[in-house]
Amino acid sequence: MARLRLGVDIGGTFTDFALLDETTGRVTALKYPSNRARPAASVRGGLSEIIAAGHATPKDILYFSHGTTLAVNTILEYNGARTALLVTKGMRDLLYIGRHRLPDIFNFFTDMPAPLVRRAHVVEVPERSLADGSVAIPVNRVMMEKITERLRALEIEAVAVGFLHSYRNPANEVAVRDFLAELAPDLYVSLSSEVWPQMREFERTLAGTMNAYVGRRMQTYFGDLETGLREEFGLNAPVLSTKSNGGVMTANEAALRPIETLMSGPAAGAIGAAFVARSAGFSQLITIDIGGTSADVAIIDGEPRYSTENQVGSFPVIMPAVDVTSIGAGGGSIAWIDSFGVLKVGPRSAGANPGPAAYGLGGSEPTLTDAFVVLGIIEAGEFAGGRIVINRDLAHDAVAALATRLSFSVEETAEAIVRIATSHIYSALVPLLARKGVDYESYALLPFGGAGPMHGLLVARDIGIRKVIVPLHPGILCATGALVADVRRDFVRTIHRRLDENSGEVMRLVRTAFEELESEGAAWLKGQRLTFASERFSRRADIRYLGQSFEISVDLDGVDLDGAEPLAAAFRREYTAIYGYADSAASLEIREVRIVAIGETPKPRLETLPAASGKPLPDRAVVEKRIYHDGAFCTARFVDREHIRQGDSFPGPAVIAQYDTTTFVPAGYVITIDTYGNLIAEAQSEH
Amino acid sequence: MSIDKVLLEILGNRFTGIVEEMGYVIHRAAFTTFVKETWDFDSGLITRDGEVFAYPRNIGVTNMLSMNMKAAIDCFDSYEPGDVVITNDPIHARGMATHLPDYMMFRPIFADGRLICFAWCFVHSSDVGGIVPGSIAPHASDRFQEGVVIPPVKLFKAGELDAEMRRLILANCRIPTQNWGDISALTAALATADRRMGDCFAQYGADKIEEAIGALLNYGEARARAVIAELPDGRFAFSDYLEGDLLKTHNVRIKLVLEKFGSDILLDFSGTDPQVNAAFNLPTHGMVNQFLVLGIVNFLRTSDPGIPFNRGMVRPIKVKTPEGSILNPTRFAATGIRYTTALRVSDVVMGALSQMAPNRIPAAGSGQMGLLTLSDLEPDTGNFVVHVLEPLQGGSGGRPGRDGIDGVNFSGGALRNAPIEALELDAPIFVNGYRLNDEVAPGRWRGGSGVLFECQLLSPHAQISSRGWDRFQIRPWGREGGEAGTLGSTAIIEASGHERPIEKIEVLRLSPGETVRVISPGGGGYGDPLERETAAVLEDVEDGFVTIAEARESYGVVIVKGRVDEVATEKLRKTMVTNRMPRVEFGYGQERKDYEAKMPEQFQDLVNKILADEPASSRLYLRDVIYRRALGEGTAGLDEIALRKLTSDLGEATRRPIFGWPDRKVA
Repeated sequence: MARLRLGVDIGGTFTDFALLDETTGRVTALKYPSNRARPAASVRGGLSEIIAAGHATPKDILYFSHGTTLAVNTILEYNGARTALLVTKGMRDLLYIGRHRLPDIFNFFTDMPAPLVRRAHVVEVPERSLADGSVAIPVNRVMMEKITERLRALEIEAVAVGFLHSYRNPANEVAVRDFLAELAPDLYVSLSSEVWPQMREFERTLAGTMNAYVGRRMQTYFGDLETGLREEFGLNAPVLSTKSNGGVMTANEAALRPIETLMSGPAAGAIGAAFVARSAGFSQLITIDIGGTSADVAIIDGEPRYSTENQVGSFPVIMPAVDVTSIGAGGGSIAWIDSFGVLKVGPRSAGANPGPAAYGLGGSEPTLTDAFVVLGIIEAGEFAGGRIVINRDLAHDAVAALATRLSFSVEETAEAIVRIATSHIYSALVPLLARKGVDYESYALLPFGGAGPMHGLLVARDIGIRKVIVPLHPGILCATGALVADVRRDFVRTIHRRLDENSGEVMRLVRTAFEELESEGAAWLKGQRLTFASERFSRRADIRYLGQSFEISVDLDGVDLDGAEPLAAAFRREYTAIYGYADSAASLEIREVRIVAIGETPKPRLETLPAASGKPLPDRAVVEKRIYHDGAFCTARFVDREHIRQGDSFPGPAVIAQYDTTTFVPAGYVITIDTYGNLIAEAQSEH
Repeated sequence: MSIDKVLLEILGNRFTGIVEEMGYVIHRAAFTTFVKETWDFDSGLITRDGEVFAYPRNIGVTNMLSMNMKAAIDCFDSYEPGDVVITNDPIHARGMATHLPDYMMFRPIFADGRLICFAWCFVHSSDVGGIVPGSIAPHASDRFQEGVVIPPVKLFKAGELDAEMRRLILANCRIPTQNWGDISALTAALATADRRMGDCFAQYGADKIEEAIGALLNYGEARARAVIAELPDGRFAFSDYLEGDLLKTHNVRIKLVLEKFGSDILLDFSGTDPQVNAAFNLPTHGMVNQFLVLGIVNFLRTSDPGIPFNRGMVRPIKVKTPEGSILNPTRFAATGIRYTTALRVSDVVMGALSQMAPNRIPAAGSGQMGLLTLSDLEPDTGNFVVHVLEPLQGGSGGRPGRDGIDGVNFSGGALRNAPIEALELDAPIFVNGYRLNDEVAPGRWRGGSGVLFECQLLSPHAQISSRGWDRFQIRPWGREGGEAGTLGSTAIIEASGHERPIEKIEVLRLSPGETVRVISPGGGGYGDPLERETAAVLEDVEDGFVTIAEARESYGVVIVKGRVDEVATEKLRKTMVTNRMPRVEFGYGQERKDYEAKMPEQFQDLVNKILADEPASSRLYLRDVIYRRALGEGTAGLDEIALRKLTSDLGEATRRPIFGWPDRKVA
């Protein structure tokens, strides 16, 4: 009997499947069209196909983990539950005012993001807790009866509660829930103090609101999915969901805390990238995931970087999540000429529908993908197992329309499109790396996603990144991440004390908080009813210089917390690493302590690729074809990735085609194949 | 454009990447909180002639695109690689820097020994010396109270730090360590730009790059001209006021005639009031200044979102600002909070633009940025501690096709607020309310509401100080039949519940049990309220911005039992249309009408005409005397001859001593 793991990632165009055989370490990839209206149907469809192809029998699947965009789409499309928000009196516009920042201050027609709850559905509750956590005005039955009546009149389906200082004392919020459970048991209720008890009423309340807004729908989805997989397929493995923090959780948990799935797709991609890169011996990476409509960047230092300043649409999310930044459009970006004759690429995208002209699905405008087709880098024919058929003539015609107006050849125009798209990525990525403090000379680029490997090396060449790694299955890395993620949950407690006053007492508070959070975490891990290879807790604290209003997250694993000095030293180390200096005299303020409870899942070993035997490349399995590259026609090596063996090495220009993507190696880089089949590209010399 | 139009686009993107990288280098490396919090820093790439050819889109203070660096560049005969210039001087740098806290730095960029361009950046330092910590004192009456002036000097000469210059600069501010940190951050950003441009030279050749720089500016100019050329030619006049109280004078009028011909624009500010003896002057030196043209730049960005961000955009614009006016003050004028003035200049430019480009410009927004700080005495140490409370800006104006934005306006949309929970934890304060004002200006597209902040102070030592308030007496204007916006206000609510209005807060202490309430102004409405969709009126009623009575009176919408009575509404609206006064283009509000009834615009013009012949230093004094008399006794009889006599008599009187000692009457 085989031991199989199945990772699934539901994306906008495709639902990706990564099936891993634990015994052999082999990964099988599948792309199945996504059904936007019924995401569970794509999961079942893909699974049926895997079973039909004889890759797996359901009883052999011991681990099933998947990521869904249902919650994030519900928020972005504003089609969640009719939600009411209960706030402290005087704070009616909490969600609307937010942090008081306009998205685009130059545009006279810009707007604040519309809140998920309209003003008429915000109920001011005459309750109050104080900054020290004491309850000044408690919630009572009479008030709640009146409020319930009002909620009924407004036909509310879900309720979020965000009271001032509830992070410190949730009593009033809990009382509201208890009353509602009795007075209106049909409502889905989320408390800000329960979803993420951190000081900052706007962000905390927003987290509670998002959770309430998507809660019921996610509950139904996970319920249906789990039942469907059991009854239809006899799948016995627990259904796990990926999380924004790069971990996984059970379906039950996901129904209670759906907000934790909001950024799960990109997070799983970064986890997958870190995993495959680690096996290849890389720890410092810039990952770039380029799909049809988006390009996302993450930084990996051993493991992905985390951030508490994340965004979903225009909404901030302060719960820790893998730090992924969107830097623009993907392969579907449309090329056009403005009224001054200047060639432009994007920001409009052909998206998944109609998609690039070459797909023959009705798109007629030239896209970046079409440009790659014209250059000869993407070949005509079937792609993604025949789900996409590339028509070269359609791409050619679309680009030719621009070429005539530019008085360029079609190929020159196609290359111009690619170079402009590359300059767009340059203009977003270079500032991003500066913002994240990434010295790109010691980092490698790991491109993935449908269009990443095609474009990634061109980007690396312009920026001056010398090493690029293209993993074995770059098109399904998010699904791979879902396979190898640990069970993780973050817990937070706000301390908000100066370190230089009564430091003995403050440190006692810190220690107690960590201990309590860890026992909470341990209980939570136990409640997941899963078996772990090991359990551990990771400690962090958010600390800042007194008077500054931004804090940095300090790793406290292994730091002695008896006195304040080791903690201060850890802060200064971290601060110096980020800003290059640290003031040792200035007072510090400890804001939050956080732990991550981690239930480690056993990590699979990936299959190694057989070494090349007999004739080395390029004599074996290489076809030379003409492409247009760097301003001229030239000959490039075309290799089917299935024929590549460990130790093979060849210089660009080269094109490596495979089931889920195409990799383009420009002139100036040499490819070597490592033990696991990763393509390692290295710049030959200064260009 | 002869240059390859593909290379133009490629290099345009790369240059943007480079200036944004500079921005993030500054953000990471800078020391002072202000820099990190408010993004009050900036970066750019500049031609040898001082024009900005690449400017960030996503980071920095974002209003410096139209600055001109030529005067600063010309302060030196020659440059060497590795030179770095620093200045904060509005005089020698002629309007590049407009107040002293902005440390500006630039560095020449060479290719093969040839000067190609400059990299430039600045930060708003938290202190550069002067009369108050933070260096911005609204009541400062000359520049020397605002800090130490650094004329353009080479801080680095061919890569070598001038340690003496460093010592001099740092000896003259309250926070030398932090300031050196900020200066080092700027230096690092300039070095980054130098390296990145070096990559570009290597890849494309310096000649191509030079050609691209010129072409990018031409491209920006061409796109701007294309937007302007579509609009009708003509002269479009508009004026608006800064309220006099905080400026320690009478209301200060900013007057503009926008002349447009073909694709050229002249902003003629003739008739604008004299400079003031407070820190509200905007030193433009009569040149095109970033703060004079901001309204047009934003209009161009809105009309053509793809327009490249460079100074080519403002080449079609010329300006005229009378010498000695608040928009072109003499060289020692205080300029610390010129931003308040810049906001009103924007309103005036927008008012003129809205006549030239109908249906494309919003009604006036709150036009101000009130900042509240709370200071308290630490009982143990006796130290002052300062807490920044919420920035209170107020709503934007209604827009053709869209309501105004509640609580925020475009001009200050980048400033962040603080969590109430943090305030209550850190400062001796209890916040009763922080929410939108429930009152909005009626219009087909209604104005955005102001913000209400209400608190009690919980320490006997606590006091609130604030600056930046305006629009407490003269409303933001409505447009095309929309009504004027709502006024800002300040009141004390006593323990008894009795409410008492107070002046704009400069410094305020509260007695136990007293609550202070500040409401920021709301934007004007746009279009006829009787044409507002009934569903939108109902929504505003449900959301609490409009009462049922207001729905009927202002919008002609009849709401019965939570629903719109469409039949009754149609009937009511018909009657109201028939019976009302003719529709006005600008809804100024009653307060401005009342003021101008006493102080007609023609009279103000006349006064300014006469004052123009007086020395700039006397104008404000003379104006105050004349205005006091006009407001007291009326303008009747104050014709040109009378006014000339009055000013001449005043001149005489001030020069003549009173001999002997006047009797003192002791009460």
